[in-house]
Amino acid sequence: MSQRPTITIPDAGMLATPRTRRDILKLLAVGGTLVLLPAALAACADDNGVTQPQTRQPNTGSPLIIDFAKGDIAVLQFAYALEQLEADFYTKVVNAFGSSNLTADDKSVLQDIKYHEVIHREFLKAALGSANDFTVTPTYPGVNFNDRRSVLTAAKTFEDLGVAAYNGAGQYIKSTDFLTLAGKIVSVEARHAAVISDLLSPKTSAFAPTAFDDVFRPSKVASAAQGFIVDKVSLNNAPGTFVQGPNNNG
Amino acid sequence: MIIEQRPILESIDPEILDTLAAREHEIAQGASVSSSTAALLALGSIPIALGALSREAYGQAPSDVLDVLQFALLLEYLEAEFYQRGVATAGLIDAADRSIFTTISAHETIHVNALRSLITAKGSTPNAKPNFDFTAKGNLAGFNFAVGQYETFKALAMAFEDTGVRAYKGQAPRLINDAAALSAALSIHSVEARHAAEIRRLRGKKGWISGSSREDLPAFTQGIYNGEDNQSQGGVMLSTLPGYGANGGATAATEAFDEPLTKAEVTAIITPFLA
Repeated sequence: MSQRPTITIPDAGMLATPRTRRDILKLLAVGGTLVLLPAALAACADDNGVTQPQTRQPNTGSPLIIDFAKGDIAVLQFAYALEQLEADFYTKVVNAFGSSNLTADDKSVLQDIKYHEVIHREFLKAALGSANDFTVTPTYPGVNFNDRRSVLTAAKTFEDLGVAAYNGAGQYIKSTDFLTLAGKIVSVEARHAAVISDLLSPKTSAFAPTAFDDVFRPSKVASAAQGFIVDKVSLNNAPGTFVQGPNNNG
Repeated sequence: MIIEQRPILESIDPEILDTLAAREHEIAQGASVSSSTAALLALGSIPIALGALSREAYGQAPSDVLDVLQFALLLEYLEAEFYQRGVATAGLIDAADRSIFTTISAHETIHVNALRSLITAKGSTPNAKPNFDFTAKGNLAGFNFAVGQYETFKALAMAFEDTGVRAYKGQAPRLINDAAALSAALSIHSVEARHAAEIRRLRGKKGWISGSSREDLPAFTQGIYNGEDNQSQGGVMLSTLPGYGANGGATAATEAFDEPLTKAEVTAIITPFLA
């Protein structure tokens, strides 16, 4: 390890990471620095029997290359990577139901979404055939799977990103059938995004904050997703041109 | 909206560009199989490519794009007037729900204006707003946005939003050669899905469509939900996927995919609402 790791924890909110006492001791054992400010102390939880895997850092693993020279196949691979991430996230959320402070309604919603995302992943895996041979390793820095607000905030991030990703990939799809398939999935992601947003901010405009959803180019999506992926994601031959959506922010 | 002027896919493998050029020629010739489909098939065991054979080359002429935009405009006129009238009626909408409907109303009006601008920018004239009959030719006899009719108002909102999602989805392939129109349509399509989910939840339903269920909507709306029970996606039967039974079975599998409707199917759904 060439650099000394540092964890700064100014308040209890930062403890929304699955960083248990054991992890902190590990950090100190390798000569890292823990800066624990007073407001954080009360919330430093014990290990409570729930598996809390050590958080791996994003962008530190093996290369994960999606080559857009493959055309539509690359777009599907890109979708497959994102669906792997989402499916893994909701599986962890559901597995932590027993120790989380989610409401019964939250759990009902999140259980359904977990089903949907696993189906999206398995569908794309099957549809890609021999082109499905890669596995994304997710990581969730800053996410506390026992905490309602942390889980829902992360879920909102994933769903909004998924919507913007599919909307932005549409212009690179050359087959009308693939375009329809992407459309079949993206509107379900948008339904998820609305419901999650409404759980966080009920009966406000949060469920649909703008009249047009974001349309993000693949490289922008990859940069955002990289924060939750250990593998080093790169897009080879990424399309050089991009037609903006109405929000002009992709 | 900023449209970058360089040709799409410029930076991609020259072979792909050649394929695209060849495909343009084929479309002009009315060919039913493009060389990009052939290229997909050549890649090997990709079941999803099989479905691409018959449909790839339909509908991409500029007149087709205008037809899509005018059709979308009709749907947005319907929604915009519906919500405008609802929001304008004091006491119809529960006070606690008012932000939801003012938000949706604003969006639909913006969609109307955006589509009108797109049509105008293409050198055509937006169709005028028709008159609407929100009783659906008497199917909802007496509905006139009166105080006390909130349940009917919400039911209609769910019907319109779920229709809108399927309508845009069905039209997207006709925009495949017009990236600006496609991006705009996709960005509206997913917002309609957000609206649909919110209203469904407000009505105590799931945010997503299970099977082909219209939930508690009246029978005349069934066309909005027919076909939503499809489990064959891109040549893959979802029931054959690993863990299917333990992962929500048919209910989850049908919820996970929203289905398109054709223009004819959508027209049949909205015709009762045209005065």
